[in-house]
Amino acid sequence: MKPFDIVIVGGGGAGLYAAMEAMKTNPALNIAVLSKVYPNRSHTSAAQGGANAALANTAKDDTVELHIFDTIKGSDYLADQDAVEILCSEAPKIIRELDNIGTPWSRLEDNTIAQRPFGGAGRPRCCYCADKTGHTILQTLYEQCLKKGVFFFNEYFALQLSVNGSRMKGLIALNIKTGKVEAFPARTVVFATGGYAKMYWNRSSNAAGNTGDGQAIAYRAGIPLKDMEFVQFHPTGLRKSGLLVTEGARGEGGYLVNAAGERFMSRYAPEKMELGPRDLVSRSIETEILQGRGFDSPAGKYVHLDLTHLGADLIMSRLPQIREMSMYFEGVDPIEEPIPVRPTAHYSMGGIDTDNFGRTVMDGVYAAGECACVSVHGANRLGGNSLLDILVFGRLAGRTAAEEARRFEPAQIGAEELKDTEAALRSYMRPSGHFERYGTLREELGQTLGMNVGIYREASKIRKGIEDLAALSERFRHIRVFDTSDIFNTNLLQVLELKNMLDLAETVASGALAREESRGSHTRTDFPVRDDEKWHKHTLATLDRNGVRLGEKPVSMGRYELQERTY
Amino acid sequence: MTGALELHTEEKRDITLRVFRFNPQVDSKPYFDDYTIQIEKGITVLRSLNYIKEHVDASVSFRAFCQAGICGSCGMRINGISKLACTTQVWDELSKCREAGIIKIEPLRNMPLIKDLIVDMDPLVEKMKQYSNWIETRMPESEIGKKEFLVSEEEFRKYDKATDCILCASCVSECTILRAHKEYVSPAVLLKSYRMNVDGRDAIHDVRLGELVKDHGVWDCTHCYRCQETCVKHIPIMEAIHGIREDAIEVRGVRDTSGAKHAEAFMEDIEKKGKLVEATLPIRTNGVAWTLQNLLPMAIKMILKRRTPPPPPLVKPAKGMKKFREMFREMTEHVRAEQKSHKK
Repeated sequence: MKPFDIVIVGGGGAGLYAAMEAMKTNPALNIAVLSKVYPNRSHTSAAQGGANAALANTAKDDTVELHIFDTIKGSDYLADQDAVEILCSEAPKIIRELDNIGTPWSRLEDNTIAQRPFGGAGRPRCCYCADKTGHTILQTLYEQCLKKGVFFFNEYFALQLSVNGSRMKGLIALNIKTGKVEAFPARTVVFATGGYAKMYWNRSSNAAGNTGDGQAIAYRAGIPLKDMEFVQFHPTGLRKSGLLVTEGARGEGGYLVNAAGERFMSRYAPEKMELGPRDLVSRSIETEILQGRGFDSPAGKYVHLDLTHLGADLIMSRLPQIREMSMYFEGVDPIEEPIPVRPTAHYSMGGIDTDNFGRTVMDGVYAAGECACVSVHGANRLGGNSLLDILVFGRLAGRTAAEEARRFEPAQIGAEELKDTEAALRSYMRPSGHFERYGTLREELGQTLGMNVGIYREASKIRKGIEDLAALSERFRHIRVFDTSDIFNTNLLQVLELKNMLDLAETVASGALAREESRGSHTRTDFPVRDDEKWHKHTLATLDRNGVRLGEKPVSMGRYELQERTY
Repeated sequence: MTGALELHTEEKRDITLRVFRFNPQVDSKPYFDDYTIQIEKGITVLRSLNYIKEHVDASVSFRAFCQAGICGSCGMRINGISKLACTTQVWDELSKCREAGIIKIEPLRNMPLIKDLIVDMDPLVEKMKQYSNWIETRMPESEIGKKEFLVSEEEFRKYDKATDCILCASCVSECTILRAHKEYVSPAVLLKSYRMNVDGRDAIHDVRLGELVKDHGVWDCTHCYRCQETCVKHIPIMEAIHGIREDAIEVRGVRDTSGAKHAEAFMEDIEKKGKLVEATLPIRTNGVAWTLQNLLPMAIKMILKRRTPPPPPLVKPAKGMKKFREMFREMTEHVRAEQKSHKK
């Protein structure tokens, strides 16, 4: 097979933008996008709220500087300041570019792109399209990729990097439709596979497929993962399913109310109230529940997100999806009743360690989006910065890969390696010694993570979590794929995804145990304050023979000095 | 606990999911498997299928991803209607079962079957390409990213609803034209085409329209409204289809394609006689040569079976024609005025 110049793994916002930009940078390149779902199904579509950019359309005094400061402060000073500067200064350009190629942004009265307030932001700078922003961005990018003739390999599941020593030769992937293992020899590979927060399963707002496939593949190939302990819990997940109610609901004026009828955020963020940053609001809800001021139900304890005072018109025009979801999944019409909510694992700040241009430590391997950790979100991501991240750094990674691809000599992937990989997949289907069920292990994984490595963490609990994970990994050796068919074997995919989640969960728990401080989304009850002296640094998790090896990396500072973070 | 709600348990019932099965590697033809499981009120069809896959039969194959009604992966036919499994409550389906307590689950129609509930989406993607379902921007290359287009709320509203489409293909599955002609453009692609054509930022309106008026395009729709009725996002798809047609007649003129000519002949008959003159309708739509070549055998059969429509002179005007003509004129004027104000 003729080697590709670039193989992009993942067809969400980051992957599609990378593809578009790579084609633009060098139209002569042979580029493929490989995705386990049709690109328009990607989880980018679930982002409801919007993307931040200091366009200064709504608030005339907004500036890129303010956006930079909000992002750094929001990150609890763990973000790399040079990376944040790129993120925020590219933001207005990229939002306009999307407007230029067809994203249907909502509009202000003067016909410019509308912006609304979002958590942790000093100005209303979140550009949106009703509550379907991610969906419309993803559609736009997919349409443009179809227009440009991007070569898609849809429904291919990435299995591993083919590496010879330190030299990356390409990617090995499973063709889901045929069950064949195929080689994608490539000069460069860009990972854009999204986040890993689905490892919390029922306590997660993520799509079933957000299993950290790219991170796990990179990790197993020896590439370090950064800041894996930082998992953001979104304050308002629906009680029963963990599905998300956008921060836009609070941006539009929704209240959080406990069982005593109090707007309890006045205790935790008297100024910003419901629009405090996500980590703070999540902890506040968790505290209310732990202290007995929540509501109770068979599906767990919760608080109310009350939109009833906003009126039917506003809810129907600005939050139609939220209304639909509340009705489908909770049986509650937010026009008439408050929505039952509780925090839900939502976003992975951690990911594949990259520089500001998407490069990893391995030549020819790049990463972007939620799959990567540049880091622009540090210990806590601000709402409206994740869509921005995938656009800005998806584009940058695509450009970098396109510029550098021809520096790497192409190589072939041996037939032997394919055969071995296929045999490894087949071995899951052998009855002898294989008896563990996927569903059971996955359920236990979500449970132990939620209980021991959730919003509130402490050493003894995390250690229990690590023990559980080790036991689960041991049991995984006996897992059985009961479906033995070749065509569209979704049972096999579930098992492969579970393996990825298990490997990554270990890095999350190890990072959480090592980091003896509280910063952003990571809250240690036994180390309740931020410890800048010891922990103002990134953690790096690398796989070696004995499992996770933790290292560290300094935070790149700039104009902004460390400060206490209050809202 | 202060003010805690009372704990209550949901109602439970044994319910059978009758699932369409077909694995082309081993099965010579499709069959159904019945799975009877205890289901609690408030559970969706997708969660029931997940339960079956995890606890009963791991080989049942279907697509699912976001589980929140936004990715469009889990389109399937539930009790005969195409919809998303993740937003469909089992309890709501109970009243729609043909056999009490048995919910029938089948793959979407009008797309090639891959396995069980999974169909091939590639033909739909190919059609999106064929009909240029994208914006070709008016912004000069050198200006891209430097300034925004100014878009009025009114213009935004023209395509707002259409951009809700998640390409779940429920409308494609329900489309009655597609059942007869796989080449037909399909409702989802018409909707997307419309959305692009009313967007002022786009520069290839005429190219797209040129493709849409060809064979298997916008004129093939028979207004059955199935697409609109099934749309999981409640998008008025037929408005989009009518919008493209009006646009086509306006921009390209009535003599442009057989579809437009057919519509015109229809109008002419209704205006004159209040009913159709069916005998000459094919000639006025497609011309004499086409009619002789394509419809002569059928016409001969019709003559033999004495089923021919009456010749034009014998078609008497409908009763109350005078009043009808007045109403017709009024309606036409009204529509024209509306079209004019739209354009402003």
